[in-house]
Amino acid sequence: MGAEFLLQGATIKRLLVGLGVTLRISLVSVALSIPFGVLMGVLFTRKNRMLQVVLRAYLNFIRVMPQLVLLYVVFFGSATTLGLNFSGEVASIIVFTLWGAAELGDLVRAALESIPRSQYDSSYVLGLTQRQTFLRVILPQALSRLLPPSVNLVTRIVKTTSLCMLIGVVEVVRVGQQIIDYYRFDYPQGALWTYATLALLYFCICWPLSMLSKWLEGRNTR
Amino acid sequence: MSDRTRASIPANSTSAPTAQSSAPLSGRQPVLELRNVTKRFGPLTVLDGIDLSVAQGEVVVLVGPSGCGKSTLLRCTVGLEQIDGGEVLLDGEVVSGRERTQQDRSRMGMVFQSYDLFPNMSVIDNVTLAPTIVRGQSQKDAREKAKALLARVGLADRADARPSTLSGGQQQRVAICRALAMEPEVLLLDEVTAALDPEMVHEVLQVVLELADDGLTMLIVTHEMSFAQAIADRVVMLDAGHIVEEGGPEFFTNPKTERAKAFLRTFEFHRSGRDS
Amino acid sequence: MSTISRRTFVKLFGSSVMTMASLGMAGCGGSSEDAAATDIASDAEGFRTLDQIKESGTVIIGVFSDKAPFGYVDDAGEYQGYDVEFANRLVTDLGTQVEWVATDPANRVPFLESNKVDIILANFTVTDERAEKVDFSLPYMKVQLGVVSPDSALVKSVDDLAGKTLIVVKGTTAETFFEQEYPDVELQKYDQYADAYNALLDGRGDAFSTDNTEVLAWAKENPGFTVGIDALGNEDTIAAAVAKGNDTLLGFIDDEIKALADENFFHNAYDKTLAPVYGTDVDPDTLVVEGGAI
Repeated sequence: MGAEFLLQGATIKRLLVGLGVTLRISLVSVALSIPFGVLMGVLFTRKNRMLQVVLRAYLNFIRVMPQLVLLYVVFFGSATTLGLNFSGEVASIIVFTLWGAAELGDLVRAALESIPRSQYDSSYVLGLTQRQTFLRVILPQALSRLLPPSVNLVTRIVKTTSLCMLIGVVEVVRVGQQIIDYYRFDYPQGALWTYATLALLYFCICWPLSMLSKWLEGRNTR
Repeated sequence: MSDRTRASIPANSTSAPTAQSSAPLSGRQPVLELRNVTKRFGPLTVLDGIDLSVAQGEVVVLVGPSGCGKSTLLRCTVGLEQIDGGEVLLDGEVVSGRERTQQDRSRMGMVFQSYDLFPNMSVIDNVTLAPTIVRGQSQKDAREKAKALLARVGLADRADARPSTLSGGQQQRVAICRALAMEPEVLLLDEVTAALDPEMVHEVLQVVLELADDGLTMLIVTHEMSFAQAIADRVVMLDAGHIVEEGGPEFFTNPKTERAKAFLRTFEFHRSGRDS
Repeated sequence: MSTISRRTFVKLFGSSVMTMASLGMAGCGGSSEDAAATDIASDAEGFRTLDQIKESGTVIIGVFSDKAPFGYVDDAGEYQGYDVEFANRLVTDLGTQVEWVATDPANRVPFLESNKVDIILANFTVTDERAEKVDFSLPYMKVQLGVVSPDSALVKSVDDLAGKTLIVVKGTTAETFFEQEYPDVELQKYDQYADAYNALLDGRGDAFSTDNTEVLAWAKENPGFTVGIDALGNEDTIAAAVAKGNDTLLGFIDDEIKALADENFFHNAYDKTLAPVYGTDVDPDTLVVEGGAI
């Protein structure tokens, strides 16, 4: 078959360790993005001009910046100019949290704004306070609308963590490249098999997530 | 529907006697009173010095052409819109503007055209939410009362359903229960059947009629003229932000002003070449 | 943000964008790959001196992890290669542990400038531009141009190229060299290495020139093709690099390189790591530098 090299030495184990790094960066970033993103989304819906400008600027800044630039800024830039010595993984988590919080903030904003005005009106005439209205009526509805796009955001984050290799983080794609390079001469088809394996690993993580997203979406429109 | 349903049912003790005069029931403290209420949207004056009072147990129906300010008047009354002049009184206390407290809000109930149930909660949770978190009733008490209310509108078996699984007419009945659960001193209904399929209009209006028979004080905006005629103790016609005519149910058969006559004619149909 | 001056922020950001720009050029090969890299080295004297490294017990070395035979990871997960052989020897003589950092061509300079690594040993070609940002040790390898052609019409000298077409990759040393030194040679230029090799394979060009390390390894894998010229043009040297001004560490590495000549260390490393790739036909002295002496 030409793929037997995958079973040699520590290859499988190394791929799984690399996958572990990928997942660790992704999950920690997502976990940190949630509180920041929700806070940002709620602040977004406040009718405060100054706040809007600042948040909008932040969101657009994060959006126009390639993640790779952000990784370089946080990893190399902060070390040379500020003397902050983050490890590759910590720098990656910072960048993906900055990105995740911005995108999630926008999703939270959209979800909150999608709740019809009449839901606020109904709560108002029943005598609910603003806080009660938000916590009991608006937020639960926003969350269920928020979940499908958020799950998609998580899969985007998982896939984008492969960029972390460019600041020296040995995550799953980097391990794959090392394997391809090592078997370059003995297994000319090695690259194909390795990439297929990487694709499978990503699929195993992202497919259940996108199914979950679909299911949540279906549940919402029911 | 020419006979008034209410006339055939004896009024209970809190119900007002059927009023024939155009004035608010004399000698009684009005529950709800609007004094010189003015509302502007930009350069447009939507309500121009409205004076209106609703007595205990009285059912007042607001009619008028689209855009005459009926819905705005209800929204100003409950405080969903800030008024630009005048005041709103509940039991003689000013509740408009800054004077309106959270508790004041819950003393008036309002049901909207599009029902607007909370889709994230079951039917019964929609009904018990405000009594528990605003009034501090226990879950148990609130549920018992909610069940009684739902039974009254024929929806006892749908208590645990999601609103989205209910028909429009059923949802509107739940919305009425949700408002009633707060035991409001006055209930405001804003075109509650306008979004419903015709076959569901009747089931909702029947519920409202029963509430009137039980003596609930109501201020109703509707385009259902036969329903209005059946339920109204008093009819108030609004046009271009002014009250143009006020009177008893005879408004529908014997309007006094040309404006009211013209308005009522829009509900009649005649084929040319035939005697009407 | 309030604790960071605006100037610092602009610098922080600007420098990183510059670093990025260098990344975009990494694919072009040649020595210009990180020409645009940062100019922020002088800012922080945050490097670790020789004593500090010894004290800490761990030296951090940046090596390639997927560029055999110079730096790669074997099937057991261990770092190997010609650069790694030398790195391991340094670790032994320092008496410390090692932390490997997987680098890429474009981030070798930033890694040193940000003091994220102590030493870079990653097939690092010495250039004037880079020497402004990092300090290079004595060389331990050299690279020249090589020319590969089919055995049926082997090109053994530049004279053999008369009337023939030579394939080069745009932006490489080979392109500049032939344009300046041998303007009569007809060049066929490609953007990608893969395209250039394909052009040679299907006969669109008669010979292909780039770094001799490249063509030697390729010829070994492609029977019927031979490197007829294995050392042409200027010698580029390959050396270890440390942060600008880290004289104690640089002195240690230079002393090592000089001392290791006695045991023919780099020839041994060549036999172990490069010979299997380049084959026995290549004279190790075209590539290996012993004792830092060219």
